[in-house]
Amino acid sequence: MQHWQQAGASPRVRIVIAERPPRAQSRVGDAVATDRPGILAALQRLGSEVDIDLAQDAAAALAQAPQADLLIVDARLGVDLSRILEALREGGPPVVVVTPVRDDEIALEAFRRGAAECVAAESDFEELLPVVALEQIRRYRAARERGLAERRICWLEHLNDAIVNEFPAALAVLDADLRVVFVNPAFARLWFLSADAVRGQPLREVLPPPLLESGEILAALGETRDDKSPAPRIVRAPLFDGTRRAFDLRTQRLDDEGRVLLVLSDVTERERLHRRLRDLQRYNANIIQNMNSALLVVDSAARITSANPLAGQMLGADPVGLRGRSLWEWLPEGTPQRELIARTLEEGHRFRSRESHIVRADGSSVPIGLSCSPLLGAVGRRHGAVVILQDLTEIKDLQSQVLQTEKMASIGQLAAGVAHEINNPMGFIHANLFQMAEYLGDLRRVWEQVEELRRTAEADDLSAARAAAHELARVSDAVDARFLLEDFGKAVRECQEGSERIRHIVQDLRDFAHRDAAHPVSADINQCLDSTANMVWSTVKHSVVLKKEYGELPELCCYPMQLKQVFMNLLVNAAQAIEEKHQGGRESGLIHLKTQRRGDAVVVSVHDTGVGIDAEHLDRIFDPFFTTKQVGAGMGLGLSTSYTIVQRHGGTIRVQSERGVGTTFEVVLPLALNAAGEASAL
Amino acid sequence: MSAGAGPRLLIVDDEEHILSALRRSLRREGYRIVTAASGEEGLSMLAREHVDLVLSDHKMPGINGLEFLKRAGVLQPRAALLLITGWTEEVPTHQLQAAGVRGLISKPWDDAELKRALKAALHE
Repeated sequence: MQHWQQAGASPRVRIVIAERPPRAQSRVGDAVATDRPGILAALQRLGSEVDIDLAQDAAAALAQAPQADLLIVDARLGVDLSRILEALREGGPPVVVVTPVRDDEIALEAFRRGAAECVAAESDFEELLPVVALEQIRRYRAARERGLAERRICWLEHLNDAIVNEFPAALAVLDADLRVVFVNPAFARLWFLSADAVRGQPLREVLPPPLLESGEILAALGETRDDKSPAPRIVRAPLFDGTRRAFDLRTQRLDDEGRVLLVLSDVTERERLHRRLRDLQRYNANIIQNMNSALLVVDSAARITSANPLAGQMLGADPVGLRGRSLWEWLPEGTPQRELIARTLEEGHRFRSRESHIVRADGSSVPIGLSCSPLLGAVGRRHGAVVILQDLTEIKDLQSQVLQTEKMASIGQLAAGVAHEINNPMGFIHANLFQMAEYLGDLRRVWEQVEELRRTAEADDLSAARAAAHELARVSDAVDARFLLEDFGKAVRECQEGSERIRHIVQDLRDFAHRDAAHPVSADINQCLDSTANMVWSTVKHSVVLKKEYGELPELCCYPMQLKQVFMNLLVNAAQAIEEKHQGGRESGLIHLKTQRRGDAVVVSVHDTGVGIDAEHLDRIFDPFFTTKQVGAGMGLGLSTSYTIVQRHGGTIRVQSERGVGTTFEVVLPLALNAAGEASAL
Repeated sequence: MSAGAGPRLLIVDDEEHILSALRRSLRREGYRIVTAASGEEGLSMLAREHVDLVLSDHKMPGINGLEFLKRAGVLQPRAALLLITGWTEEVPTHQLQAAGVRGLISKPWDDAELKRALKAALHE
C-alpha cells in the first residue's frame, strides 16, 4: 500500500549523482585534465523538472537511492562504485556509470556488476547522458508500476481467499447448469461435504433433499441466472443433527456466462433471539397492562410519556390522553410526594412504597403507595422516572378493620375487669332501688295519715284530728320515717354516684372503641394516656398502684385513638406482668407513667415492676403473633400493632427489661410528622 | 325481733356503697350488722368479737374473699360463712366446700334470695 501511494504522489524525477569533488578528482585521474563538462552540467538540459541530489561516496548515494529514479555514478569512485552496484543489484533504481573515456574493460565490469548503462564522458556526453538517463528512468518507472499492479492483484486474491474461506455463511459458485464451481469451507462443513469432491456436481445432488424440498433454492438460482433478481427469502430444513434450522437465502449473478453465487446464512439463532425479544416485549407489555398497580413513565420535566390502564383509572383519565400531561396535576405543589419525585428526576434518588395520596380532577383523594426510580438510558443518563402507584384504598380499609378488631380484642382482655367495675355499682343501685321502693311504700303510709289529719282539721273535728295526729305519730314511728327520709336521700346520692361511675366507664370504653378521623388531629397526649390508664387501672386497682408523672406537653398532631391503643397495650401488658409476679397475693405492684418533652418530641414511658421479659425474647416482642402469655390472654398482636402505629407517627418504641425486676417501654413521638414518617389515615 | 337479740352478721366489702346497700336490704331482718372494708380488717374484728354470720365480697384488695372466709372459719368455726360475688363461676365449688362456705350469692343480688340464703345458712 505504501508503495502505491509513493508512486502516485511523486511525478517529479529524482536523480542522485555520485562523484568526487573537483579537487579530489584532480588528484586522482587523468580524465580530469580534459575540459569536458561534469555529470551535473551534462544534465542541465533536463530542466527544472528534475531534482538532483549529490553524493560523494557510496554511503551517501545509497542513503538517497530509495527516493531516486536513477543513480549516475562516476567510475572513478572505484570501490564506492562497486559498493553501490552491489547494493542495488537486487532491486532499486538503475545505475548509469560514467567513465572519463571510452573504456570497454571498465564498461564490461560495470555491466557484469549490474549497471544499467555505461557512458563515456566524451564529445557527445552532454547530448547523450540526458537521453540515456531519461530512457533508464522511463523503463524503471514502467517496471515499477507493473510490479505494483501485480502485487495489488495478488493482494486482492489473498483477500478474496481469506474472505471466502473465513466467511461464516455457506457460499457456492455455480455455473449456468447449476453445477458446483466452488464451495467455501462453511458450505462444506455445514453438510459434511468435501469441497473438492463436489466440484462439477449438480447442486441438486449436493444439497440435502429436505433443503431442496420447497424448491425455493433452485427457483431463486434459476431466476438469478436468467438475470431476474429474486427477493431474499428464508428456507427451513433440519440439519443432520436433527435441529431445525432457518437459512437466509440470497443469490447473485456473477458474469455473463450465467455463473451465480449462492449464499445461505444460518439465521436460526437470530430468529430465536428475535422471537425471544418479541416474547419478552409482549410479556412485559402484558405485565404492565395487567399489573395491579398504576405504572407511569415520565420524562425529566415530569410529563407523562406512557401509562398503563390502571394508571388511567387511578388518575381518572384515558391512558392515552395522559400522554404529555404533567404528573404535577395530581400532586399539588409543596406536597412531600411531589418533592420525592422531583428528587428522583434531579438526583436519581430512588424510593419505595411511601404512603401518600393523590388528588383527582374531581377533587377526590386516593390513598396511594408511591414508588419511584430513575429511568436510565443505555449510558446511564437519566431520562425521567418510572412511577408506580398502588391504590391503598382497599388495604387501608382492611388495615382499619384489623386495627379495629385488635382494639376490640384488647377490650376483651379488659372485659372481666370492666364488668366488675360496672357490676359493683349495679349491685348497690339495684339493691337501693328495691329498698327505695319499700321506703316509698312506708312513707306513703305516713303521708296518708298526714292527709287524714288535714281532712279532720279542716272539718273542725277536733277529736278526729287528735286521733289522726296520734295515728300519724304511730305510723311515723313504726316505719321510722325520720330515718327513711334521711336514708332515702343517702341512697339517692349513692345511686347517683354509682350511675356516674358506670357512665364514666362506658364513656371510656366508647372512646376507646371509637375510630380515628381520616386526618390527624391535634391532641393532648397526657389526656389520651390518662383516660386509657384510668380505664385499665380501674380493672386492676386491687393489685396495682398507679403513679402518674405528667410533664407539660404541647399538643401533638396525631391519631389519638391509635395512640390510645398503644397506651392500652402497654398498660395491659404492665398490669399482666404485675399480676403474673404477685399471683393474687397480698402485695401490689407499681405502674409508673411519665410524659415529658424531649427536644422536638414527646416521650411517654410506661414502667412496671412486673415479672420482666426474658433477654432472649426482647428482640422478638414486636414481632406479630409473638406471645409468651397463656392461651386467651392475648394473641400476640398488641406490641406489633403498637410498633406499627408508632412508626406511622414517625416515632420509635423501645423496651428495657430485667427478669424479675420490671419493664420500661418508651414511646418517642416527633412533634412534626415528617415526610418519611407521614401518618396514614386509618 | 329486737335489735339487741338478733344474730351478729359481719359484712366485708371494699365498696362502701355495697355495705350500705346490704345494710338497707337487711335492715328489717333483725341482724346486728357490723362491717369491714377488707379481709384483713374483718379478721381483726373476728379475733375480738363473736359473730354468727359472715358475708364477704370476693374481689378485694389484699386477701380475697375466699381466703378471708377460710381464715374466718378457723377463728370462729361455728359462724355461717357466705360469699357474695359478681363472678360466681370464678370460684369453684370444691374451693367453697373446702373453705366451709355455706352460701354463694351473686351480685347484683335479689333481695328475697339474699335474705333466704342468710337464713338458710344460719339454720344449717
